[in-house]
Amino acid sequence: MSSTVGQVIKCKAAVAWEAGKPLVMEEVEVAPPQKMEVRLKILFTSLCHTDLYFWEAKAQDSVFPRILGHEAAGIVESVGEGVTELAPGDHVLPVFTGECKECAHCKSEESNMCSLLRINTDRGVMINDGQTRFSINGKPIYHFVGTSTFSEYTVVHVGCVAKINPLAPLDKVCVLSCGISTGLGATLNVAKPKKGSSVAIFGLGAVGLGAAEGARLAGASRIIGVDLNSGRFEEAKKFGVTEFVNPKDHKKPVQEVIAEMTDGGVDRSVECTGNVNAMISAFECVHDGWGVAVLVGVPHKDAEFKTHPMNLLNERTLKGTFFGNYKPRSDLPSVVELYMNKELELEKFITHEVPFNEINKAFELMLKGEGLRYPAFKSCSGIIEKDGERLELEKKRMKFRAIAF
Amino acid sequence: MSATAGQVIRCKAAVAWEAGKPLVIEEVEVEPPQKMEVRLKILFTSLCHTDVCFWEAKGQTALFPRIYGHEAGGIVESVGEGVTDLQPGDHVLPVFTGECKECHHCKSSESNMCSLLRINTDRGVMISDGKTRFSKNGQPIYHFLGTSTFSEYTVTHVGCVAKINPAAPLDKVCLLSCGIATGLGATLNVAKPTKGSTVAIFGLGAVGLAAAEGARISGASRIIGVDLNANRFNEAKKFGVTEFVNPKDYDKPVQQVIAEMTDGGVDRSLECTGNVNLMISAFECVHDGWGVAVLVGVPNKDDAFKTHPINLLNERTLKGTFFGNYKPRSDIPSVVEKYMNKELELDKFITHQVSFSEINKAFDLMLGGQGLRCIIHMEN
Repeated sequence: MSSTVGQVIKCKAAVAWEAGKPLVMEEVEVAPPQKMEVRLKILFTSLCHTDLYFWEAKAQDSVFPRILGHEAAGIVESVGEGVTELAPGDHVLPVFTGECKECAHCKSEESNMCSLLRINTDRGVMINDGQTRFSINGKPIYHFVGTSTFSEYTVVHVGCVAKINPLAPLDKVCVLSCGISTGLGATLNVAKPKKGSSVAIFGLGAVGLGAAEGARLAGASRIIGVDLNSGRFEEAKKFGVTEFVNPKDHKKPVQEVIAEMTDGGVDRSVECTGNVNAMISAFECVHDGWGVAVLVGVPHKDAEFKTHPMNLLNERTLKGTFFGNYKPRSDLPSVVELYMNKELELEKFITHEVPFNEINKAFELMLKGEGLRYPAFKSCSGIIEKDGERLELEKKRMKFRAIAF
Repeated sequence: MSATAGQVIRCKAAVAWEAGKPLVIEEVEVEPPQKMEVRLKILFTSLCHTDVCFWEAKGQTALFPRIYGHEAGGIVESVGEGVTDLQPGDHVLPVFTGECKECHHCKSSESNMCSLLRINTDRGVMISDGKTRFSKNGQPIYHFLGTSTFSEYTVTHVGCVAKINPAAPLDKVCLLSCGIATGLGATLNVAKPTKGSTVAIFGLGAVGLAAAEGARISGASRIIGVDLNANRFNEAKKFGVTEFVNPKDYDKPVQQVIAEMTDGGVDRSLECTGNVNLMISAFECVHDGWGVAVLVGVPNKDDAFKTHPINLLNERTLKGTFFGNYKPRSDIPSVVEKYMNKELELDKFITHQVSFSEINKAFDLMLGGQGLRCIIHMEN
């Protein structure tokens, strides 16, 4: 056990004091882990749209001050009472959704939506005692999605930690604890395209490119990328995308364009923007008889998916996924192995690196593509929507950034 | 070869001269089968809602005079040029949707929506030459769904005929050429409930009860029947239904009622009414994480299925099926075998029997909401 076991740790954390304001590097106190909790030393973390969305806190009540961050990799510093599966020194990925292994969801082969530990964006405290483990001069600082990885040390429930191969480079595999896995799993676990099949991917941000990577791994013969930003196509080729459709270039609905390109429709589609019209297009562009559409991107509160029921009676299947249907503890380690045996490529997702004290640069880079012209942030992934209109993103939009401690 | 091969046959048919008017038993002429066609002697037929729907012809282009009927069992009388899969004397079920075995759909292991022969409710002629094989005094009489089984003899495309075990009683297995197979397949091929799972069935008519039968055969532990007509509940028990929900008995939406009865939702649901609101209920009543809803009933033209996308992101699956996803020629014979080896029960679907001359009684029964299936005997 390390010398900090059982003690409060004083360390640096990037604290969000107010919605939308730059994070402030503070010295925080991190209490030791309680029952079924673990304390992690975070070595690398990255920014995901979901952090940005809840930091901006536009359409919802968000708690402040808060430590955001949920895509990360680190090492176990100490474990709380009752924890047997992890030990100090283990290499891990904290995950924003957990796996208790006891509930009906965890016991089901199909679901990854643990009844106890599934994602909760409202909660800012630990389940055990309803308190936070972070504080500054006695003032509590709230957690975020049970991870709070914008801190040198954090405390999480043991069910939210995936133990991985200690040889895996943490600065690369940290990206598997959210966005990339979400897209990858949407394709590999849910859409399941067969070798030689055709796949359409809506939205070529990190999640969409994770989905395309999954289609590439599955041996799809055609991967059609759909995005309003033509600037993304060149980059997308690295991820296996073979053709590109920009809905703005066509008068007819994009599902018709895709159906014409593919003799009736694609075999599989994966929707990674969260825009409800794109969801409908993604569904209606799959082939009747056997097509499957998978919805990934998270919509806004009042979205309504609408289609004529004939489209279902014609033997199209509509599915949705959460975190790529991966069970965090059971499945993520094997995704890390996909990378270790060189099937899955991760380096291409990483476009920038910054030191921890420059974390606000990561926010700026992610926001830059949208700029100040897009205040109404309806979607937390991919395509940004303002008042129902789709707006183009700047060509050099950053897909990803990694923050090193 | 039969004695009538190559000749026009004069026989009785129940002709619909006008929308919604009783059928008239007429003597009609039935041409011999052309290339890739077969002529069948129909022995038993039954009435399905789809016949009634198009006979009433409300809100769609009507084609009259027409010979309806698409659920039937018969024997091959003669075959046209190029037909090698069937010969005179074969016992068959004509099917309203076909299987050419050549197109992408037929070659796919998943689809049964043949590009050439899939259901076409508008067409009243044969594909080969665009003409009808039925006439009366030179006046053409239109086909329906490529089957037209309300006739002692009919001509169909060979791709629309399933060759079955000659020992199977045609007066029972005729039901497998539409409604019962549709419901059964929706469960066995599409919803695929695992042993011990929970299933909700919306609509307890023939299709819904067949879906329930499929759930029973699969070993479902709970089969919850949903219907506005409480009178249907007692009958439904024979088909494995274990509990009943009448939406009219509750103030809250039926999907909530079902979710409460099942600790979050059923594992599988099947929607067999065609009512779009029930489709939405059927989808929203399945459990998050693993639930699958299958839509079976055919909706109205302008219906819209609507749900909040989060219901999909929460890992519910929504599917639809056509003819239970059975490929007519490849799969229906094995469904007949399920009946022959007593896994599948069919007799309980048959509530009435009439002779061909009394065919209009079958329409009256269906319009009155009575019974499940009425078998029409073509021969006296």
